[in-house]
Amino acid sequence: MNKIIAFSKRNFLEIIREPLSYIFCLGFPLIMLAVMTLVNDSIPPEADMTIFRTDNLAGGIAVFGLMFVMLFTALTVAKDRSGAFLIRLYTTTMKSGDFLAGYMIPMVLLAVIQCVITFIASYIVSLVTSVSMNPLEMLSAVAALIPSMILMVSFGMLFGTIFNEKSSPGLCSIIISLGSFLGGIWFDAEAAGGVLTDICNALPFYHAVKAARLACVGAYTGEFFSHIAITSVWAAGIAVISVTAFKSKMKADLN
Amino acid sequence: MYAIETKRLTKRYKSKIAVDGLDLTANEGELFALLGVNGAGKTTTLRMLCCLSKPTSGECFVCGKNCAKEPAAVKKIVDISPQDTSVADNLTVIENLRLICGICGYSYEKTKEKTEEMIRIFNLNEVRNTRSKTLSGGWKRKLSIAMSLISEPKVLFLDEPTLGLDVLARRDLWGVVESLKGKITIVLTTHYMEEAERLADRIAIMIDGHIAAIGTLSELERLSGKSGLEESFVKIAENHGKKAAK
Repeated sequence: MNKIIAFSKRNFLEIIREPLSYIFCLGFPLIMLAVMTLVNDSIPPEADMTIFRTDNLAGGIAVFGLMFVMLFTALTVAKDRSGAFLIRLYTTTMKSGDFLAGYMIPMVLLAVIQCVITFIASYIVSLVTSVSMNPLEMLSAVAALIPSMILMVSFGMLFGTIFNEKSSPGLCSIIISLGSFLGGIWFDAEAAGGVLTDICNALPFYHAVKAARLACVGAYTGEFFSHIAITSVWAAGIAVISVTAFKSKMKADLN
Repeated sequence: MYAIETKRLTKRYKSKIAVDGLDLTANEGELFALLGVNGAGKTTTLRMLCCLSKPTSGECFVCGKNCAKEPAAVKKIVDISPQDTSVADNLTVIENLRLICGICGYSYEKTKEKTEEMIRIFNLNEVRNTRSKTLSGGWKRKLSIAMSLISEPKVLFLDEPTLGLDVLARRDLWGVVESLKGKITIVLTTHYMEEAERLADRIAIMIDGHIAAIGTLSELERLSGKSGLEESFVKIAENHGKKAAK
């Protein structure tokens, strides 16, 4: 346990001391929150378009922010693997499970902090825009996002394990772009219909966003739990793949 | 019992043989240098001795423990300061030392004791709260070696510890390594002749994965008929090349 705590602490500090992580993990999502709130103000009421209303936007922005946690997880793992730091740790009695827990625990913790900050900012915006939002429901949205956090951290682990320091951020950028689009953060995926909605439904991002949005308005319906279930299955699947990939890469590194 | 022993140790990567039937021993408390040009197999040998790589054939032992069969036991008694900088960049010097203490499972008291001990031995006090990424190459190497000593290893592997350092930083680091002599077994890889000449009790010259010669400096000089390690190294390398050509 000591090994996991020590390694987790190191990974946590590595990220919170990286100025870029604030720009991407917090700055960018919060700017998007502000920009989209302004966009919402410009939409005439007769358009009946509520996608950018704060209570809808908050959950989407939270998932958008989590995608940057994926990016920094990938960067941390890939950077460690490309340098000699992991070589040093491989000569200690640390096992693959210690490494995996040491990477995943602080990243999920960072994701929780990021979500809390995003929802606090959203609550402040909701007061300004006179949109009714319940802080307790927002807190439940943080809980509803836990499977999404595990999903994004696992994606990050997987990309950081398979790809190097140069290629993993590029791949993560593709996932961020695709995930935010196909997650229905910036458009109404249900209204789009057809193949596009089918693609959105087939991927986890849309379900993550929907679960957060429904939690934000306290709609703990069957639909909410189905979105949570789908996201959880994806999270478990990607977590298993990333753990397997990391263990196999570690074994290959030590061969 | 030897601190280090290899028996016909071989490492093959596809068609390339990095280490070829290596037989060597190092005694407890000895500072043993593996000298050779790039690609001679020095780092690969170290990797096998640290359980970072498995031998293709042959065996290697650290304090009598088989590296391939008892890696957990070996890892408890060895540590390495790798060739590249192996410190956590965004952590301060003291945080890096504490990180290794945490991984070793030390108590709060022992962590405090060990970090202060390393700071004193390596004169790290003036940079103790400096983030590693802003340290000069010399400071980073000192920190890297300090981190490798935290676990109180019986055998310490230093892989080209002064590579890329300026002359002052190199001499400073030599002083540190000299202060460790006799206390633990140190296996040092280098391609700096003067480094091996100054620090090592015994020197093995590695060429193309083989040990071309092994012994004290005077033994190598006698063997080559030349004076000084550099001249001896060149002569031994030439003779080895001629033998290989035949």
